[in-house]
Amino acid sequence: MAADNRYEEEEEVRTDDGSPITKPRPIVRLGIFLVAHSPVFSVVFSAAGVLALLLLPLLAKNTYISENALMPGSARSMLSNRDASDGSKLVKDIKNFRLNHEGQVQRLIGKYMSEMVAEVYYQKFQPEGNQFHPLHFFSGPASYTLLGNVSCASYGVNVVGIIRAPRGDGKESIVLVTPYDFINGGDYEDLSLGIVSSLFSLLSRVTWLSKDIIWLVADSRYGDYRPVAAWLAEYHTPSFKVSDLLKCDELNTADNFRRAGTVAAALILKVDGRSERFEDILSIYADASNGQMPNLDLINVVNYLAVHRQGFHVKVEKVVSLLSSSWLKIVGEIFEAVGKVANTLNPDWKFGIPAAEYIEGSATLASSLYSQALGIPTGPHGAFRDYQVDAITLKISPGFPPDSKARQHDFFLRGSQLLEGTIRSVNNLLEKFHQSFFLYVLTSPSKFISVGVYMIAFALLVASLPMVAASLYVDGCKALTKSTHNSAENFKSWKWLDAAKQVFALHLLGFIVTLLPYFICQVPGQHSPRNRSIMWGTTSSLLLVTFVTIPGCSPFSSRLHGTNWAILKSVTISAAFIGLCLMSIINFATAEIGALLLVPTCLLAQPIKPALRSRRVKSLLGAFCSMVLVTIGFPVIFFAITKGLVGEGLVGLSLGGEFWTWLESLWAWKSATYLYIGMVHLPCWLLCVCILFHPS
Amino acid sequence: MGFVIKPNINSSSFHLSGRSFFIRRRQKKKKKKTRRGEMAEDQKKKSCRFWIWALSSVVFRLILISFPGNLNLSSRPEVSTPLTSIRRLAEGYWLKQASMSPYAGSMYHGSPLLLSVLGPLTVQRIKGQPSHLLCSLVFVIADILSAMLLRGIGKKLQMAYGLNARLLGLLKSSRDKGILPCGDIAALVYLWNPFTIVSCVGLSTSPIENLAVILALFGAVTRRVPLAAFGLVIATHLSLYPATLTIPIVIILGYGLDAPPIKLFLQTRSVENEESSTPTVSKQPKLKQTTRLPFLWKTVAHFLFWVLLWSLCVLVLCAFSLNKYGGLDEMFKRTYGFILSIEDLSPNIGVFWYFFAEVFDFFRNFFLIVFHVNILFMLLPLAIRLKHRPCFLAFIYLAISSILKSYPSVGDSSLYLSLWALFVNELVDMKFSFFLFCGYLGISLLSPVMHNLWIWRGTGNANFYFGNAIGYACFQIVFVVESVSAMLNHDRALKRCINTNHGEVKN
Repeated sequence: MAADNRYEEEEEVRTDDGSPITKPRPIVRLGIFLVAHSPVFSVVFSAAGVLALLLLPLLAKNTYISENALMPGSARSMLSNRDASDGSKLVKDIKNFRLNHEGQVQRLIGKYMSEMVAEVYYQKFQPEGNQFHPLHFFSGPASYTLLGNVSCASYGVNVVGIIRAPRGDGKESIVLVTPYDFINGGDYEDLSLGIVSSLFSLLSRVTWLSKDIIWLVADSRYGDYRPVAAWLAEYHTPSFKVSDLLKCDELNTADNFRRAGTVAAALILKVDGRSERFEDILSIYADASNGQMPNLDLINVVNYLAVHRQGFHVKVEKVVSLLSSSWLKIVGEIFEAVGKVANTLNPDWKFGIPAAEYIEGSATLASSLYSQALGIPTGPHGAFRDYQVDAITLKISPGFPPDSKARQHDFFLRGSQLLEGTIRSVNNLLEKFHQSFFLYVLTSPSKFISVGVYMIAFALLVASLPMVAASLYVDGCKALTKSTHNSAENFKSWKWLDAAKQVFALHLLGFIVTLLPYFICQVPGQHSPRNRSIMWGTTSSLLLVTFVTIPGCSPFSSRLHGTNWAILKSVTISAAFIGLCLMSIINFATAEIGALLLVPTCLLAQPIKPALRSRRVKSLLGAFCSMVLVTIGFPVIFFAITKGLVGEGLVGLSLGGEFWTWLESLWAWKSATYLYIGMVHLPCWLLCVCILFHPS
Repeated sequence: MGFVIKPNINSSSFHLSGRSFFIRRRQKKKKKKTRRGEMAEDQKKKSCRFWIWALSSVVFRLILISFPGNLNLSSRPEVSTPLTSIRRLAEGYWLKQASMSPYAGSMYHGSPLLLSVLGPLTVQRIKGQPSHLLCSLVFVIADILSAMLLRGIGKKLQMAYGLNARLLGLLKSSRDKGILPCGDIAALVYLWNPFTIVSCVGLSTSPIENLAVILALFGAVTRRVPLAAFGLVIATHLSLYPATLTIPIVIILGYGLDAPPIKLFLQTRSVENEESSTPTVSKQPKLKQTTRLPFLWKTVAHFLFWVLLWSLCVLVLCAFSLNKYGGLDEMFKRTYGFILSIEDLSPNIGVFWYFFAEVFDFFRNFFLIVFHVNILFMLLPLAIRLKHRPCFLAFIYLAISSILKSYPSVGDSSLYLSLWALFVNELVDMKFSFFLFCGYLGISLLSPVMHNLWIWRGTGNANFYFGNAIGYACFQIVFVVESVSAMLNHDRALKRCINTNHGEVKN
């Protein structure tokens, strides 16, 4: 951080020694220059950071296939009409089966699979309750297997079929997942089974297969994610205890869980609701927990095949409300105009894109950033990422009603050809995906921004923090040296210790507040989220009051210790800088959004007492700005504002309930964002409040 | 708004601690008598506070020990290295129980003596308690002992500091409030350092290695020659690198504790002589000035004799415990050989594993020599420059070896950081303290994240973790360089201070 700090002090040394003042090295001079003019530079850097964020859609690159072995679309599809009619037959049979209530649909699917020479087995699992485990982020995925009280009242059954590859050695596999609700699955869900069964009937015959194919029909009664996660947990961590679930039903699942080597890639296929257009729409979902993405090559292959071979309309999620926003349109038009001007100056400069495309890109980027920042996986593919398997969800919205037989056949043909092509590409791989990017955000299905580009925006935003910290540190030290000229101790370079103690105390408080929900969840009895949030709020504020009253660690008692606010602010800013940098490595999107909030708050925080006393317009304005920023920076209020922007106005206690539910979803999904809010954002915010009301 | 830095302004605000004591002392001389009672009370209070903090650190450790499964610290590469991991020790013990060489299978690489002491404890379990509880208790006790020994060293150093200041005429009274209780500070820094806590709770054997090193220094400082020799031999036996401490310990035993350079004492004395000899009676012959301190050859020989004796004991014991499994040859090959040839390339916070994973096989021996000679190259120049401050020299040696070790862990850092705290009086004006603090903090938080990114999530690669290790090494280097330059500046400042004092006296 305080590299600049260093330069600053290096300068001092030279003069202390009494030696003739030599000219410092250029880099030292640059550092001193930056620190000396930190107010100007901090404004410039922060503005540049925001601008770079707005520029990101312009800087997006077209995707390309990085791994040569993939060769998508180079082989002719072998899928015939016969395979597609196999799929149609399965769909028809399931419909009849369900109408006649002939028993479990799982058995029917299992029968179909075994007819296609696949090894079939059934796996039972239990839905998992909401558990508080935010700290499990650092441990491996398998560290929480519960073998506790098992009840036969609620459990699900997955059906799994494995085709052994004729050319493989059984050490690698590709997984196909179709989430399916066996109790009340709709007509569209049947179609996904149809597509995969057409493909499966082909794959049981082909000779080129070198990786085993696993088809998992996941019981999506308890959500899409849980069955897949349960299957993966059992696949990767064999347990030798016999689960009580096995006795629950006549369906024999004992002792036949089969495996097929490491999973190279996984494709999750879902068919739902009809698209608004006439054509079929393919949506790609890729975000796993904590902003992890699958290798870009997988998305590229699917996108290439879907667009260039099968003629799907491919899209990724975007924030719809941004599409109609006028300010974004203005920004887009400005960029377009600048691009045109640049193009006239030099035809080689081609960075301008049309405003409409810019808006589309920004909306997609915003959605990408948002879902990464939440840290909650957008589908069952998230479960695979915990085992380092690249997986994406393909959601197809057909452009026809489910009972149209003629188009259904064609739909099966195209869908399974897309999957066949993808599997064929993955089948070619000799190693796991590693060539292309893991850290990126998408601005359209065929455009991405890599880590090297998007980090610039973040780096510019936080670059001002160490500069301001260094300059404040120097200021504070000077002020302290003056004020404590005759006092007992004169530690030249240890004046920050008191401030660090206070900052540490508040971070400790943040840590305790972060862990409190664990204990609140243990409180016996049923409580509404609202009550729980009230409990949380009161305990936290009580803790805060106790912390403030303990002498020594309270920032309000700092007058006794002679700490001035400049050093406190310097230490606060350093803590914020370290926290943000750490978070940017764990989850970039959270850090980016957090920095947009935290950086201006930290930079503008200043005691308001002198500002009010001086009654100058400039200082009053500064005080007002910092007050507004601090108000917005409080997590609950920020949550309310974002909710308000989306259109759900929330006031009063219902807000607390909503906020609690939101946080609960964060920790239930092991999102690091929860830790960030509790252990970086909240303490830094509190410290900013302390600085605002500092009795200086 | 912006301010322009004028470097010249700052020079006036520079205060040397010693000088300010002096000025303060003179001002407050009259009030001294009334204050003596207060001071004793104050000291009592201070030592009471020290014990409270020390006890709370022990309690904190015990709390952490009670749920080690959740923390899973013993598998972190930052905490346990192939040399210090208790899991490997337990494995070695089992092998030995099964009548096999404990070194079979390249699992265990520690001392056979440690195996016989700690081995049975890894097997014993108290019902209903987490496994390795007894081992953890041993490590907690080792930490407490180390802290107490550090306190003892600190008290000696503090006394020496006061004495030297008085001899130089910077302090007039026998007691001074301005001198920081460096022993207490060092002990608390050791006990509350997160690195120490982590390596104690994380079941690495580094608390015991640290205890041996501190024992050696304590023996040297308190002039208990056999104890010093024992500590040195055991520390060297456990981890090889403390062998470098022979030089500082010999200097301590030969020349005495840390003191300002001898020139300064001579200068003060000569000035005093000038003052006392009036110009009329100038024929009195001047005292012959010795420019060298006497070197106590006898003590050093005594020390070397004890070192020989203890090493003989250790070797005999090792040979006895390994006589069926290849004897001492095997032990040297599997412990020192393992340390020197860097066979285990699993990631740690050092910089060697990455380099030797990359290097071509036919260059390997060459680079092994180059990397190890790095430490040896620095020994002599540092010993010459810092010979008047042997304890500080020991700190520098330990810091350097913790940077350039083949299998470093955070336990090594905790040792040198607490030794550093012994010199708070001298290093009060150390620069970049805040920068270094932030650096250490950031790096130690970043390290598990990078490891997670590489090993668990698979989105990072080895470069991520290695980058972190390089950053850590850089911060350590800056820390060492700054400490040394602060110490040298302190000496220079003392000299300047004495000169100005004498100038005042003459006028």
